[in-house]
Amino acid sequence: MKLTVNGETRTVDAEPDTPLLWALRDDLDLTGTKYGCGIAQCGACTVHLDGQAVRSCQATVALAEGREITTIEGLGGADAPHPVQAAWIEKQVAQCGYCQSGQMMQAAWLLEINPDPSDADIDRAMAGNLCRCGTYPLIREAVKLAAAKMRGA
Amino acid sequence: MMTRSRLAFAIAAILGLAGAGLAYAHGDGDPSAAIDLVVNSPEGEVGEDEGLAAWENIYAVVSHPRCSNCHVDDSNTPMWSGPSYGEARPHGMNINAGASRIGAESLPCGTCHIQSTAPNDHPHAAPHAGLTWMLAPVEFAWFGKDSADVCRQIRDPERNGGRDGAGLVEHIVHDAQIKAFITWGFNPGGGREPAPGTMQAHLDDMVMWTAAGMPCPGE
Amino acid sequence: MSLAGTIARRTFLIASTAIAGGVAFGVYAVKKPHPNPLLNDLAEGEAAFNPWVKITSHAIILVTPHTDLGQGARSVQAALIAEELDLEWGQFEVSAGEPAAAYYNSALGEENAPYLSTDDSFAASATRTAMAAVFKLLAPQVTGGSSTVPDSFLRLREAGATARETLKKAASRKTGVPAAELSTAAGNVVLPDGSRIPYTELAAEAAKLAPVQGAKLREPNEWRLIGKPMQRLDIVAKSTGALKYGIDLRFDGMVYAAVRTNPRQGGELLSYDAAAAEAMPGVRKVVAVKNGVAVIATSTWRAFKAVDAIECEWGPAPYPAEMRAHWDAVSNSFTEEFLDKVWRDEGDVEAALAGEILEAEYRAPYLAHQPLEPLSAIVKVSDDGVDIWVGHQVPGYAEQRVAAIAGVDVENVHLHNQYVGGSFGHRLEFENVDRAAEIAVQMKGVPVKLTYTREEDFLHDFPRQIAMSRGRGAVKDGRIEALDLSIASVSSSDSQSSRLGQTVPGPDNQIPAGAWTAPYAIPNFRVSAYKTPPLAPTSSWRSVGASTGGFFADCFLDELIHAAGADALEARIAMCKFDVPRKVLEAVGEMSNWGADLGPGRGRGVAYVESFGVPVAEVVDVSVIDDRIRVDRVFVAADVGRIVDPINFDNHVKGAVVWGLGHAINCEITYSDGMAQQTNYHAFEGMRIYNCPEIIVRGLETAEKIRGIGEPPVPPAAPALANAIFAATGKRLREMPFNKFVKFI
Repeated sequence: MKLTVNGETRTVDAEPDTPLLWALRDDLDLTGTKYGCGIAQCGACTVHLDGQAVRSCQATVALAEGREITTIEGLGGADAPHPVQAAWIEKQVAQCGYCQSGQMMQAAWLLEINPDPSDADIDRAMAGNLCRCGTYPLIREAVKLAAAKMRGA
Repeated sequence: MMTRSRLAFAIAAILGLAGAGLAYAHGDGDPSAAIDLVVNSPEGEVGEDEGLAAWENIYAVVSHPRCSNCHVDDSNTPMWSGPSYGEARPHGMNINAGASRIGAESLPCGTCHIQSTAPNDHPHAAPHAGLTWMLAPVEFAWFGKDSADVCRQIRDPERNGGRDGAGLVEHIVHDAQIKAFITWGFNPGGGREPAPGTMQAHLDDMVMWTAAGMPCPGE
Repeated sequence: MSLAGTIARRTFLIASTAIAGGVAFGVYAVKKPHPNPLLNDLAEGEAAFNPWVKITSHAIILVTPHTDLGQGARSVQAALIAEELDLEWGQFEVSAGEPAAAYYNSALGEENAPYLSTDDSFAASATRTAMAAVFKLLAPQVTGGSSTVPDSFLRLREAGATARETLKKAASRKTGVPAAELSTAAGNVVLPDGSRIPYTELAAEAAKLAPVQGAKLREPNEWRLIGKPMQRLDIVAKSTGALKYGIDLRFDGMVYAAVRTNPRQGGELLSYDAAAAEAMPGVRKVVAVKNGVAVIATSTWRAFKAVDAIECEWGPAPYPAEMRAHWDAVSNSFTEEFLDKVWRDEGDVEAALAGEILEAEYRAPYLAHQPLEPLSAIVKVSDDGVDIWVGHQVPGYAEQRVAAIAGVDVENVHLHNQYVGGSFGHRLEFENVDRAAEIAVQMKGVPVKLTYTREEDFLHDFPRQIAMSRGRGAVKDGRIEALDLSIASVSSSDSQSSRLGQTVPGPDNQIPAGAWTAPYAIPNFRVSAYKTPPLAPTSSWRSVGASTGGFFADCFLDELIHAAGADALEARIAMCKFDVPRKVLEAVGEMSNWGADLGPGRGRGVAYVESFGVPVAEVVDVSVIDDRIRVDRVFVAADVGRIVDPINFDNHVKGAVVWGLGHAINCEITYSDGMAQQTNYHAFEGMRIYNCPEIIVRGLETAEKIRGIGEPPVPPAAPALANAIFAATGKRLREMPFNKFVKFI
């Protein structure tokens, strides 16, 4: 099957009902997208599918075929971080960091639809992303910092 | 705050992902994955008693957690209830589907509940169906409502999406074709308790009830 | 950590013998350094001044042997070396190194001596010294017990200083300028005329020299890094998805494996039928492992699907099948037969309790670790040895186990320690390493990556100890007259050591942890520990015994203070015998503006628990909204003596509070039919962002010894919350999780 990932067309060797997560990780070595729970309880596998945040443990490669897939690697990198990534760096949000790819992908979607989220907005949009290390206070700060960066404030 | 245009964008993005016909049908899109239902038209008149009996079956289905959990009021909060939950409680993760009823304001239902007609075979995974996941329109609120209330709502075209009796029957048939939420309710997978009866029986009841003139309890 | 505790208890036994019997170990054996593992593969022209610093003609490599589980261990270790070696961020590489005796944990032995941290008596300090010495001889390399900073603080600065002075000596030989006239800055030796020689250019010369020992360490007022905000070395990679955890690695020719072992932890596999699995796409092989079966396939998902399709018949659990029996066993162990030790006995408790008394029973459930990175390991068995890629907290032990499984000498087993996506004690266990090795020996020459499904991980987690306490107390004239606390618990230390094939005699200091260390002067005060015979296997869970003992002791204390009609914080301060704990309590009172009127529908509670030698006080504020509890704010004061990185400190205190609160609110592991009933996060949620309170942290630096912060803020969180809920609602919560008794937002 062919997938369009981070602007490139890539071929994966996977059955149609394979979760996109495993095609990204095992076939394409895009390991920034993490396996956490496999049942949409933790959000660590969040990617964007046609611009919308989606849990890639639930989306199959069949569903993803023909759509634009963006992973954390496509959001930005060390040289040119997305404002959300830049805020995550500045606030030093990560402890173990394993959930943070998903957190950032979710935050990036939130800021697409809501450029100035309140605490309540953040608590709604980010509630599906589990962080076992408990970095939530810093996630709140970083989302607001990223929002400010994106508004050019 | 979210502006109107941003919300419109969000809704468009979500529905775009869920555009009609884009659902992944299990078995490489084989249309046979749809469920074949038969509309068994009754022979002759259907009496009110028969109609009310059919309604009680319908109510048993629509008040079942598989259905009513997402037919909630303007709190826009889906519920988690059913045998495995003990007391009914709001959907975990602080979920609120917003006035959009699809979560476009903050966290779209479709973030976790993807659109797919594949079987729901993984226990406790977010269920999916052949439509993008959403709450029913607010006027269709069933959760916690009694039989008479729900009955009057379902037969009222002002509050049922403009459907007459034939429209209600067609709604079930169409759902089976695209494997949407009613279909899911009877086969939720993942160890969940299904709605009572079968989808065919539910359709038969709807045919009977509408043929009887949609009688409601207590009238 | 309890495994650390196990090792320490064994150490203590030997140390006690050493003290009692005079001389058991020669001074030479203790003083002699372990061999420097960096010398094993040093190339010509490369210098390794000690086990932590290696300089080549093109690179400066700092070895950071404490495993980075997300606590920033690699950064903090590197910072301590860089402080003395005058390196800037970005000038050096960091390596986990290979497991070696030289990296034995020098802090754990001392930490686990069975004396109060405030006890400076001869017996206490003699035992600490002896334990530290014996620990060195046993040489376990352990990350745990909040000991990374205590272990590293002096050693790694000395390592940096040794390297610095040796490089200066090398520069002196090269230039003829006396070493005393040389200085160092930003990876260079600086000559009096200001010209600079990079360390890398001095490596070859320095390699010829004996390392300069006894170099003088910088004074705190000269520190460039310590105590200042730093950017963690992994933060950019973790913020861009680029960091490779153990689960992310891949090698040419690698195959993917999944396991299913008896969901009744430790039970046997009676039979299985893998016919369906073998016919599934991408399946290479189905193999048996201990108590289960594994699938080797061409992708993780194919392995997951296939292993799930195997029909297995499982044997019974080697412990009671139903939860009720577990509680009964704990409840029945408050008897003389199971008395492990009376840890504290002041005054005459029985006499003081002769009149009217207050009694209460408390319970704390099993709890899983479940860090977000599922267990995994990559193992490759070759003709010349075994390589393991995994993040592990006791890497040397993991090597020994794999050597036994593969039937090779441990010298030929090499564990490459990886960044870990959280542990909380999970990576002290060996399940993933053992299973991966069992599979890999059946796939010789091929790297095998074993990944656990989340469900398999939950079912084979070794949870926290289950525990109960019974408290009796008396109050008089507005004060606590007597407090008699009995704690019964399974021993997680014994459970862990049994999996290492060892038994540890003597009392388990984790059963009364967090309780017997209370700093209070109560006229009649007794803490007794009862050891429940083994039930489900248990392990170290972030803060170990103090996570249960602290809850019991502080909540029951709160009940007595309330019964005495005293103020919860003022009474604790008034009873406090020691300066540092008192300062911590006073600080949290000041931060929270204790005593202020919170308004209707609100309440606040305070708790104080010492664990790992760190005094921590927390105040929790709650609101009651439509009969639901919302946790609004938490104030935390902790004293670790010296804060190395204030940003990391702050983040970790907050995380520990979230950990303590989240599990207290809604988590437990229960057993039915011998299986853990919670198999994924839907049933073991912990805290999410929407119910996370605002957390305000103050780090004090008045304590004499430097200590770690990873675990100590956990234990006070649950009792402070329970005490706050009592203040707001009048309802005492004596059992976790609290959501069985009150609703939360």
